[in-house]
Amino acid sequence: MQWEQEDRLSADMVARVVARKVAEAARPGGRPLAEVINESLYHERERLARQGDGSGVVSSDSLFLAAIRKELPRAGRAQEILLLTRIVERYAREIGGHFNPLVYGLATRAIPVGLSVVLSGLSPLRALRNPESLVRLSHQVTLVGDREWLGRLASRGTLVFAPTHSSNLDSVVMGYALYRMGLPPVAYGASIHLFNNPIIGLFMRNVGAFAVDRRKTDPLYRESLKEFATLTLESGRHGLFFPGGGRSRSNRVETRLKLGLLGTPLSAFYNALAAGRPSRIFVVPCTISYPLVLEASTLIDDYFQEAGRARYIIEDDEFSQVRRWLDFINALAALEQQVVVTFANPLDPFGNDVDFEGRSLDPRGRIIEPERYLLSRGTLREDRERDAEYTRDLAHRLSASFHAHSVVFPTHVLARAALRVLVRRFPQLDLYRLLRTLTPDTPLQLPEVESETVALLDRLQQLEADGRIRLAPRTRTGSGQLIHEALRSFGSYHIRPVVERQGSRLTIGDANLLVYYSNRLDGYGLAGDSSLTEVPE
Amino acid sequence: MSRILPRPDNVKRPSAAVIGAGNWGTVLADLIAANGHPVSLWCRREDQAREINRRRTNARYLPGIRLHRNIRATHRIDEAVTGKELLIVVIPSKAFRDVCASMGPLLTPDQLAVHATKGFEASTHCRMSEILRQETCLRQLGVLSGPNIAPEVAQRKPAGTVIASRFPAVVQSATALLVSSRFRVYTSQDVLGVELAGALKNVVAIAAGVASELDLGDNAKALLITRGMAEIRRIGTALGALPETFAGVAGLGDLIVTCSSPLSRNFRVGAALARGEKLPEIVASLGMVAEGVNTSAVANEIMKRHSIDAPLFDEVFRVVHQGDDPSTALERLMRIAPHADVR
Repeated sequence: MQWEQEDRLSADMVARVVARKVAEAARPGGRPLAEVINESLYHERERLARQGDGSGVVSSDSLFLAAIRKELPRAGRAQEILLLTRIVERYAREIGGHFNPLVYGLATRAIPVGLSVVLSGLSPLRALRNPESLVRLSHQVTLVGDREWLGRLASRGTLVFAPTHSSNLDSVVMGYALYRMGLPPVAYGASIHLFNNPIIGLFMRNVGAFAVDRRKTDPLYRESLKEFATLTLESGRHGLFFPGGGRSRSNRVETRLKLGLLGTPLSAFYNALAAGRPSRIFVVPCTISYPLVLEASTLIDDYFQEAGRARYIIEDDEFSQVRRWLDFINALAALEQQVVVTFANPLDPFGNDVDFEGRSLDPRGRIIEPERYLLSRGTLREDRERDAEYTRDLAHRLSASFHAHSVVFPTHVLARAALRVLVRRFPQLDLYRLLRTLTPDTPLQLPEVESETVALLDRLQQLEADGRIRLAPRTRTGSGQLIHEALRSFGSYHIRPVVERQGSRLTIGDANLLVYYSNRLDGYGLAGDSSLTEVPE
Repeated sequence: MSRILPRPDNVKRPSAAVIGAGNWGTVLADLIAANGHPVSLWCRREDQAREINRRRTNARYLPGIRLHRNIRATHRIDEAVTGKELLIVVIPSKAFRDVCASMGPLLTPDQLAVHATKGFEASTHCRMSEILRQETCLRQLGVLSGPNIAPEVAQRKPAGTVIASRFPAVVQSATALLVSSRFRVYTSQDVLGVELAGALKNVVAIAAGVASELDLGDNAKALLITRGMAEIRRIGTALGALPETFAGVAGLGDLIVTCSSPLSRNFRVGAALARGEKLPEIVASLGMVAEGVNTSAVANEIMKRHSIDAPLFDEVFRVVHQGDDPSTALERLMRIAPHADVR
């Protein structure tokens, strides 16, 4: 029976997407189906050309496209609908093919076990028999959030978790965090290459994930994906997606969120209302804060390369190297550093606050009926432009929440302070030239960095008092101790120490990483933002 | 896809309320009424509402104008706003938040609103649409702004305006209620740009009043309008508005009328300053709010914060708020080093 459910999800998705395209084509001035199909073929051919592995082997994708292309010119209307259906069905198989509702139900158990396997280097069988291996992870992750509130909302509606995205470890950490919070398992869209990752691939299929291929630019694919995500929410499954899209390359807290996926809670809310069985949907902003980031080097290097913009997927980064994982986990453990996961106040699909019972509140805290945002003269009305605006409002609320709950670690403070000192010393250089100028011999006087650190901490404490950021306990011990902690962190995991102390001087070992950790404090109106954002497009 | 919800709703046909019965609010209500729609008009004072309902006049703000009978004036805010499809809020910036706060508990998320107030809130620098957003549950918001000297529109002379909203329903509803053979409506999505254009031009209008009183001539006026526009656009785009908005009806259109018409309040403030009168007396004798006075101060703060160079705005600020002599200010403007016209 479970497998039937899965099929139904995919089938519903295909039916909806095709029906929408057919209806749009029938409208006066609407796009003919042949054009939609041609566009799809075009995008897919381009993608295959970009991805070409040079082996000369004809992929099944190319064969499929060739077949459609051959039939299209002779196709009548009925035949066109059939061709369109075949394309969307193919997408459905890829997106939902890994999604197993049976496993979705088991995921609460699968995730933490899988995690501890990864994090402890145990064999899966030993981990299953030895739940204490979980203990280790619990030392490394701190959870913040109102579990009673979220649990209550989970029983009254559908939760959609929307975390910040710094590392591929986020999926694992979120899975663990949900489990520890006593929250239900989630269906979520995971980048398709994670399914092939040597470490995590094994249990990716076991966490209720559906596959997302961000290399596919075909609008029809994107629409299919959104529809699938919407349907999982409508079916009452809790969801998770990273609204920033990929990992933050720069390490800035995300401000530009992907509105397509962010609109799915509202679509699901609308569809349920239209079907006469209203349901509640809550979006939970989550902030994951790392003192060190596993893939920091690859991400910032990619960010600094213009070519990196097209490189959506990095398959050969630290995340696929068992060794780097272990180094990372061990470094965190040795430093007694915590990854902090914050579950912030939940929102409705329009970006309104909700109360303990899940009722929507207006900006002054009065209870309102959110379904009325979708009415026109008392009637439910579809209006995509309107809904896109609501989704934009939701995005603003999420981004503000991300910033407010982001945790500042000593690494961020020291990186920022050191970079500020350097920028001041070379005022005529833009960031790029500054980075190229720096060598391990470029000395920084410790007292200068320390007084910059004191000033920065002062500003950060003001921000914290205003509820606009959080400071980790280890930033509260005074600037000297903070710098000491940061230097220890910087020297422990990264291949070259980011910053190192030599007597009363500091030297820069990895300037890119210095920028990376400093960037976490961008977007708060602190001095130094503008000079750091001068990255050529 | 469209279906009736099980719960009945009291909004069945287009209905509107204008909040604020100053001259422009009253004229907007009259336009809607003349188009055959019933419209509520909220007045701060009960006697004013009674005058409009009984005598069909609003003597203090629109002397000599007879108002349409479709207008129903009330001083009760709940009566005015409850269940209305569209609210048009025309309240001076100083009182805007208070009135929004009093409407807040009465509104539902399906209601639409546009405002027609050209100014900023002095203490927060908030735009009016931001105040509506902060004080109410409303999301489908917009702004109405353009070259609209209220008494001219009241006399049924032809005019046009811009309605800007990111929400198609707001634009459609407001347009349907207001448009007629004597009142054209243009649409836009640039809410920010239209709000800034309407607010900022009041500062230039003060300068135009000064220029007119000092009898500087038409060449000077043209200079004022074009250089004023350049500064408005510079400030506006720095805040995120679309540059093209400032070339449109709500931008250049509004600036031209404000700088040309001696009826404009801000123009009158400038003229009085040039005669050597003092600001408090001028404001008192006007009997109405001149938004440009407050906007000049807000604009000055914005310019400082964003490091925007706007010499004309600088000088108006010094004349209005620092008591500088208008002739000296003019001289300073004329002595700015020559630079490129269009940048």
